[in-house]
Amino acid sequence: MNTLNQIQSILRTYLNLKSLSILFTFLITNFSIAQSDRFVRIPYGWLWFLIGFIVICLVVAGSAYTYGKIRRPGKAISYAITASTHLFIWIVILLTLYPVIHLLAVSFNRNDSITTPLPKVGNALLRSGVLPDPSNFSLVQYHKLLSETHFFTYQWMMVIIIAITLLTIFVLTLIIRRSDFSFKLEQLRNYIAWVFFITIFGLIISINPDQFYSFNEAGEKVRASSNGKIILHIRNTLLVSGMTGIMAVFLSTTAGYAFARLKFEGRYQTLLSFVFVQMFPGFMALVALFYLMNALDLLNSFTGLILAYSGGAIAFSAWIFKGYLESINTSLEEAAMVDGATRWGAFWRIILPMSVPMLLFIFLLQFIGTYSEFILANIMLTGEDKWTVGIALRAMSYNQFNTQWGTLTASAVLGSIPILIIFYSFQNAFTDGYTAGSTKG
Amino acid sequence: MRFVASRFQWIVPWYYILPAIIFLLAFTLFPVILTVILAFSNYAGTRNGELDVSSKTAIVNVTDNSLELTNIKELRCDWLLTPSQVNQNEAGTSSLTGCENVLALVYTSGSVDASGESLDGTTLTLVEALEAGTSVNSVEIMIPDFGFAQEIKVVSSVGKLVELERPPAGTPDLESIRISLTGSAIERRIERIEGNTVYLDAALPPDGIYSTIARFNKFQYVGLDQFKIIIGEARKALLPVFAWNMVFGILTVLINTVIGVFIALLLNNPDLRFRNLYRTLLIVPWALPGIITIQVWRGFLNTNFGAVNRFLALLDLPVFDWLGDCTLAKGAVLLVNLWLGLPFMITATLGALSAIPRDLYEATKMDGANPWQSFWGVTAPLLRNALIPITLTGFAFNFNNFNIIYLLTDGGPPASWGTSTARCTDILISWAYNEAFRSQGGYAYGLGAAISIIIFVITIAVSLMNFKVTGALKEEGDR
Repeated sequence: MNTLNQIQSILRTYLNLKSLSILFTFLITNFSIAQSDRFVRIPYGWLWFLIGFIVICLVVAGSAYTYGKIRRPGKAISYAITASTHLFIWIVILLTLYPVIHLLAVSFNRNDSITTPLPKVGNALLRSGVLPDPSNFSLVQYHKLLSETHFFTYQWMMVIIIAITLLTIFVLTLIIRRSDFSFKLEQLRNYIAWVFFITIFGLIISINPDQFYSFNEAGEKVRASSNGKIILHIRNTLLVSGMTGIMAVFLSTTAGYAFARLKFEGRYQTLLSFVFVQMFPGFMALVALFYLMNALDLLNSFTGLILAYSGGAIAFSAWIFKGYLESINTSLEEAAMVDGATRWGAFWRIILPMSVPMLLFIFLLQFIGTYSEFILANIMLTGEDKWTVGIALRAMSYNQFNTQWGTLTASAVLGSIPILIIFYSFQNAFTDGYTAGSTKG
Repeated sequence: MRFVASRFQWIVPWYYILPAIIFLLAFTLFPVILTVILAFSNYAGTRNGELDVSSKTAIVNVTDNSLELTNIKELRCDWLLTPSQVNQNEAGTSSLTGCENVLALVYTSGSVDASGESLDGTTLTLVEALEAGTSVNSVEIMIPDFGFAQEIKVVSSVGKLVELERPPAGTPDLESIRISLTGSAIERRIERIEGNTVYLDAALPPDGIYSTIARFNKFQYVGLDQFKIIIGEARKALLPVFAWNMVFGILTVLINTVIGVFIALLLNNPDLRFRNLYRTLLIVPWALPGIITIQVWRGFLNTNFGAVNRFLALLDLPVFDWLGDCTLAKGAVLLVNLWLGLPFMITATLGALSAIPRDLYEATKMDGANPWQSFWGVTAPLLRNALIPITLTGFAFNFNNFNIIYLLTDGGPPASWGTSTARCTDILISWAYNEAFRSQGGYAYGLGAAISIIIFVITIAVSLMNFKVTGALKEEGDR
């Protein structure tokens, strides 16, 4: 026991996190570094990396093993395995998140160009440009993107309301998760969520292209450049995606209900045609859609794009909703209909409220899918004021002179925020929907 | 509605389905049918059946049914020649100009060029007033976004103000506007061309003053010609693109599944602390819109300044021209698709794993199985059943995953075996897109449509397999 205590104290002194980080910093700052104009090389870097990696693995597994030996000798190996699992998952997480971190870092960098020379000081990771140089931190990219946006006072109020409600919802969710008597709180949260959605809707509707301008040297109002309109582009995307999601829900629920519950002549054939029509590579119908929208005079309008998207969304959504309805019992509606409800009443009062999670899933799926759609939007929305985020980003990325890397990343960050918030707020609805959908075709 | 429903019971279900069907017919089925029809035609940017405004040529002299033009080249008849006709012309076996049997408009009076000052709805204000006494027929306004001019009829014109029939689509370029003065255009068919003289199928009315002629683009139904072109060039485009498409679909699903299942199995351990945190962090790529992240990855893979190469250089490993080399570009596509697809795979596998009842494990434990045995005996077979539909759906999705190819590599780099539209990382759908929307001879839409029919057939085959395995349609068939 005495020796074990000794080992424990030795481990505590030498292998705590701080000493590890000191060791690591020492290793990466004291290499002889060959710096060309483009790349920084550490001679035999891969060897050092491999050795360091193996050492870290051994140290983690070994210390866990020793720790396990002290705590519960029989479980020492499983301690080591658990520690290695943690290490492995952290490496995967680092690799997964590195692009995101890098993206954030570049967007907060003062340089717009990708070709900026590398810093000459700092540790190897900084000098090689793998990690961002903190001395270049700046908000200039965001300022450039946002400075030409002019909100009215009431729109600022809306933004503030949105921020406050979002924060409140977040806090309330945390509280609800921890406490037992949460029914009232949940109700409160739902009310606040309604306020949130209505305000966001109001804000999206109220933004218009005339609010994006700047003043030139002569003091005249000039229209903002396409980079300065990113807020408008995000608003356009939200509008189109939101309307498409709502349309998809409206059109697919009735059809899905009919397929799942009503027995009628031609049902199976109609269902099959629904399934197979949607397998045609949708965007290859672009010219036809372009022709159609031109005939309907809907080119370069959101209405046209929303209609086209909704048409493509119906078959799949109806299919999912049918699968969902088939998995729930018919007894409730039957009871309602015995009590004198009409079929429509049963659908409207019983089926719809019951399937809110599925409707939410259909909406989210369509919303996120539409947010990421590019080709159709690119062909149909020709005016710069109507662009969606994707088109705006591609315009930056294929700029005729050079890629505006800083502007691109900052816009990417701004454009990702809505989806990020939506995804994490409804994460469960989303993942559950997928599992429900995958088990039931 | 209710009255009809009580009379005809069978109509009730259609009340529910009708809205969906109308949308499906209008915005999915109609375009699909049109596309299928166009696959049997040589419809293209220069052959779209519409009046080609750029072919307007001034007429010098009119005699009976022949028109002498300033320069026949301005009529751009060579645009209408098919590749085989061009070959025949070069070989000297035919001397078709391309305009034979093409409809043309002969304008009876001239046009003036003007520039506009402003456009408010349908009211166009010109910089200078038109001459008194002229009456305007129509205006042609260039729309730079579309790349072509739009002809709009004029309702009335007074001095500077011109009232249009409808507002032009998009953002018009008001700098150069061509104003057609009143007079009618006479439609005639071009019979043949000799030198600068055009012979029409019928004589023009003798009293008119004829100023210009413009021809229509023609497109015709060519039967299976488009498919013949695809088969004829199969070695250069169809086969390699199809092969890479299959490899891409299979490999990306395989890699994603193997790694995703492995990580999910690690995370499924209920004794693992922070597993919810890990899950939340690992899901981030899924939560970001792919359209954005793929374009950011393009920057990471940049040869000289990208993060990937910087990291490789730091480790003293060779750096690569990721998007410029055929094999590496394919690798890059797979890598980025792994990054994009892993979160979904992990989540789906975790969902499938959580559906496995815990008592099964208890039972195997009672029977004295070790963890290894219980994995192969319980987890693996149950997981396999749940994963098959997921992987098949994943394959069907990735088979047509246009976004990653178009936004990451843009189909490139050019391949030594390929054509200008079928390059190293092009999959069928991006190849079809290239043919349809940016091949050199304008929009070769007929060819693109033909390729999409091939894709359609393959997708249906994959989906049928999927349905057969999952039994999603089977219960219906048994009834």
